[in-house]
Parts: sequence; structure tokens; C-alpha cells
Amino acid sequence: MNLHKLSSRLRHTVTQKFRHLHTQGSGRQLEAVVAETSSADLNPLSVFRTSEQDPACHSERHAGQYYTIPPAHIQKLFPHGLPQRFQLQIKTFNEGCVMVRPPALELISYLKRADYSNPPLRCILYGDTGSGKTLSLCHALHYCYTQGWLILHIPDAHLWVKNCKELLPSSSRPSRFDQPIQASQWLKNFKITNERFLSKIKTTQRYVWTKRESTEKGQPLGELVDQGVNRMKSSSDVVGAVMRELRLQAGGATDGEGAFKLAVAVDGVNALWGKTSLKKEDKTMCEPEELTLIHNLRKMMKNDWSGGAILTALSQTGSLFKPRSAYLPNELLGEEGFDQMEPFVPVSVPIYSEKEFESCYLYYLDRNWLQHQHNSGESDPDLDVAPSSSSLASTEGEEDSEDPGSEWIGRNGEVWFSTNAETTPFLQPARGVTPGPTRYAIARVQNMDSVFNGFCFLRSR
Amino acid sequence: MAASVRYLLKPWTPSVCFVRWSRYNPYYLDPDPSKDAVPESELSVEEKELQELKTVSPIKAALSSDTSSAFSDPLISKFINMMMQDGNKILARGIMTQTLETIKRRQVEKYHKSPAAKRDEVECNPYAIFHQALENCKPIIGLASVQKGGKFYQVPVPLTDNRRRFLAMKWLITECRDNKHRRTHMYEKLSQELLAAFTNEGNVVKRKHDLHKMAEANRAYAHYRWW
Repeated sequence: MNLHKLSSRLRHTVTQKFRHLHTQGSGRQLEAVVAETSSADLNPLSVFRTSEQDPACHSERHAGQYYTIPPAHIQKLFPHGLPQRFQLQIKTFNEGCVMVRPPALELISYLKRADYSNPPLRCILYGDTGSGKTLSLCHALHYCYTQGWLILHIPDAHLWVKNCKELLPSSSRPSRFDQPIQASQWLKNFKITNERFLSKIKTTQRYVWTKRESTEKGQPLGELVDQGVNRMKSSSDVVGAVMRELRLQAGGATDGEGAFKLAVAVDGVNALWGKTSLKKEDKTMCEPEELTLIHNLRKMMKNDWSGGAILTALSQTGSLFKPRSAYLPNELLGEEGFDQMEPFVPVSVPIYSEKEFESCYLYYLDRNWLQHQHNSGESDPDLDVAPSSSSLASTEGEEDSEDPGSEWIGRNGEVWFSTNAETTPFLQPARGVTPGPTRYAIARVQNMDSVFNGFCFLRSR
Repeated sequence: MAASVRYLLKPWTPSVCFVRWSRYNPYYLDPDPSKDAVPESELSVEEKELQELKTVSPIKAALSSDTSSAFSDPLISKFINMMMQDGNKILARGIMTQTLETIKRRQVEKYHKSPAAKRDEVECNPYAIFHQALENCKPIIGLASVQKGGKFYQVPVPLTDNRRRFLAMKWLITECRDNKHRRTHMYEKLSQELLAAFTNEGNVVKRKHDLHKMAEANRAYAHYRWW
């Protein structure tokens, strides 16, 4: 469809907020915007935003549209969970909007239909760098939060296998290493997210931390977490204890007071089975198995408990010793990781489709983010879709609409044509380039015959 | 065949030309990477002559920083070149991009937090802010050291446009490099200075005002200028 007519209509009807639009693609949403603006009241929100704020009600109808996460939810649910650039965006735009996309909808539909008396469903989001795995995971987590689940969110497992300033030998086991800073940081964020569960869940066994400190059986989970936050030395073991408690009690109690569903969300799960960049005191490399946090997280990934779900995403960006082109589960997880994670549901996260791109474009326009003045007036020649609309068309102004391929007007006004019928099939030329004899010839090359015909029978008048 | 005959009849120019250390002949024209094709009727007589000249004169080799992109800005390119150290253009361009992004983020945040009535006054375009800030930093009159009777006097002197632009950019960069906290990034420092200069505040505008005051104070020596 012709984007130029559409965008010129927009220029007249839409207010100053909507700058001159240059988009490739079908422009279905632009059409919708024009239809909206031509009606009495201007309501462009319905095209790229949805008023449905509850993730449980999101469906394919809302695909490609933005929904706002309430600020209270962002503070509680994602104290550390959102990617850095997205947090900046929330700060700049004064709101946190996430696009509803098919991978997240798929995850939410699995969560709705799963049977929670069975072992947990394991989903792995995979895709190219920057395609939206982390934010799809956050969307699914928001759904779990609104349904009242207990959230166990590790925002980036890679942070636990690299750049650790303090690596202490473990207090409980001789061959393990503790990471007190990372563990206590994570426990603090866990406390913020799951405030209301901390007093309801009770410990099932006695934990001894040192000669003088221990947590008795039947104490609320909040005490356990406080123990880890206050005493840094044993915080990694506390993390292990917390995970164990949650695993045991997730689907267990069916009475109203204690029942909860557990959502385990790990981003960058390939860190658990990769290599670390941490060194032990004798300068040898540390294996991920030897780190307490990683060891406990691996136990969490096994599906030997019930009453919840495990949602994970792969990540090449923070990974260690993995090539940049790797994005598939078997490449990033490695043999060991793949065997441990099997059986899992792989969910592919593609890059933006045309409709999603338009939605994003309109959102940025709405938020006053796109500022650069493109060439106002004439459109950018780079975005010309068909050669008949290029600026250097024939001087008489004829549009080769009946027979688009037979004749081309070259740079100097020459008319190129072929004397052989085999070379007339028309292929689109490069955009922004006035076709000359080379382009004319190349467009008609399909096999040796057409090469020969093009060589012999190309003429100019 | 017609094409090959035309090719043979064209005047021959060497395909490889060593230009790096040579000085161009004055008749060589600068390359013009813009894609706008202005129709014939809208050109004045001089511009038509210029177009004719462009078809026959040789053109200098284009620099690797010349683009026909809609986003290229000669002022920003000049600023990047001035910021560049040891030929590290990639780093300088990265800093510039981050500066523009930071400025835009601050302004868009301010835009969204301000009430509807005040929103029109908030300028969100980082290029407009950069241009305006640079204008506000340009001194109008400068000082030159002139020797008369064994002593050197600071004489107020008019400045050319290039000199003014150079001084504004130089002051901005040295201010950000020297007078700010050591641990802040260059793009943060630059964005703070540019936003301050946009509203006629900040150390660079202060330096411009000091220069003007010195020139005003020394206006008695203006006659020492002989050019």
C-alpha cells in the first residue's frame, strides 16, 4: 500500500505530536490511526496501547499493544529484575509500559492450564540478542504476581559467576565457596517482593549457623531471611535453606492459610552450566558446582517438587566463553545443562514483526521521544518502495503501470529496453538508486540464458 | 555497444590518485554528499553556473566522516573532531551520541513531569539544544595581544565566525575536562554544561561574559589595532 499518500493525509489531520512518519511495511496501524483521527474525537491510544492492565486477561487481541505496569507493582515485584535500559526508560517516560507479545502470551497460557499437582513446567525462552526474552519473562512474572504466587526471581545468573569481590570458603562444607555480598543482596530483594508470605511459611527443620546461632523448627520464613541479611557470612547457606523450604512446601498444604504456588524465574540460566571467571586462592579456575549459590539453584531447577513453574531465559550477552552468534538452547546450555534441563518447553522469541515495530514507533512518538527532523516535505528516497515513485522518473511523468518491467529510464534520460522477451521479467531495484544499465541488467539475471541474453540484447535508445 | 563507445570518448582521468599528502589544486571542488535534487527551475543564475561547474571540475576525495545521512550535522562533526584525542574518532563519536541521548532523556523526563501548560516550553530536541547552547557560548568580541612601545596590550578585536565557533567549542571541552569531578563520565559532564549553556548559565557562559568585560575594560586600546 502507498505509504506516501497515507503519511501526507496524516500530516494534515494529525496534531503536531505526530511527526512525518516514515515506516516500511504494511502500515495497517497507520491506517487505523488515520481512521481514528478522521472521526470526531482524537483517540489514537487504542491503536498501540491497551487499557487492559491485568496480565491474566491479555490475549491475541492485545498482541502488539502496550500495557502499563502500575508503579507499586514495579517497586515490589522488580526491585532488581528489569534490565538496565528498561529502568532508564521507565524513569524517562514516567511510566513502565511493556508490549504484549506472543511468547509471553504463550507462557501465560501454559501457566493457566497447567496441573499443579504434577512436577513443575520448565520453559526456556530463547532468541537472538535483544529480541525481548527478559521482558517476556517479566511479563509472565507480573501475571504470576497478580495471581498471588510466590516469586523466586534471579534477574541474572551470570552475575553470580563473575566479578565476585569476596569469595569465601563455605562455612558448612569444605569444598564449596560462598558469595556473601551477592547472596545478601538477593535476600533483600526477595524480602521486598514476597513480604506477605514471610510470616505465613514456617520452617520444617532446625538450621544451625554457628555455635551460638540457629533457627528453630517452626519459625516463620521471615526470620530465616533476616538471619541471612544480617549475618553476611552465612547468607549463601540461608539462600540454600530458603530454596529448600520453598521446594518442600510449594504445593503441599491445601488449606487456605499455607497454600501458595511457587514461580522460579531465572534469567541467563546458561550460567549455571557454563564456566566461571572466578579464581580460587591457588589461582585455579572455580567450577560453577563449587559455588554454593549455583549448587542450590541447580537443585531448584530439577523437577522433583510440585506446585509451581520454572520459567527461564537464556542469555548470550553476559555469558562467559560463548561465541556471540550462539543463541539456541543446545549451544548455550551445553551438553550437561541440556541434559539437566530436559524435558523443557522451548519458547522462541523473535524480533519485532512489522505490526510490533509500528506499535513501538507510535509509542515513541506519543512519548515525545523521536526528535530528529527528517527531511520535511519530500520523503526520504531511501524509503521509496517502487521505482515509479522515485524522483528522477521520466520527464513526461508517465508511470509504467501497464508494463512496469519493459522500459527503464536511466540517469541521463536514456530509455533502456530489451530486444529479447526472456529478459523482461521485472525485479525490484535497490531503493534510493536511480536505475542505470547495470541495475537493469542485474535485475534480469536468473540463469546462464538470461545472462547471455542480457549481454547481447540490451539496448538504449 | 553505445555505452562502450561513450566510455572510450570520455576524457581519461587516472583511476588511482595519491591525494593524502598532496595539496589540491584550487579548482578542485569540495564533495557534496547531500541527496536533495533541486529541480532546475528553482535555481538562480549563480547556482545554475555552479551546477555546470560541478559537472566538469574535478572533486576532492571525500573524508571518511562524510555521509549523505539525514542525521549528519556539520557542527556536531566539528565538535566530535575537536573532542577526539589520538585519532580515536570512535570513542569521540560514542561520547557525543551518549551526550545527546542524556540531554534528550533529561528533557523528556522534564517534559513528562511538568504540567500540561508548561510542556510547550520544554525543548526536547538535543540537536536544537546543542546549537542554541553553542550560540550562547560564542563570544562576540575577543582580545588580541598587540606590542606597542615595548609593552604588550590586550586589544579588543572582532572575531571571525570560525574563530568564535572554535572558541565556544574549545571552552566547552576544556571546562568539562578540567573543572569537573574526576569520577563523572565525559558525557554526563558535557550534557550538564550544554543544558546550563542553553539557559545562559554555567561556567562557559560565565567565561564568555568575563571576556566581554575585559574587552569592554580595555576599549581604550582599541586604536592599537591596525588591521
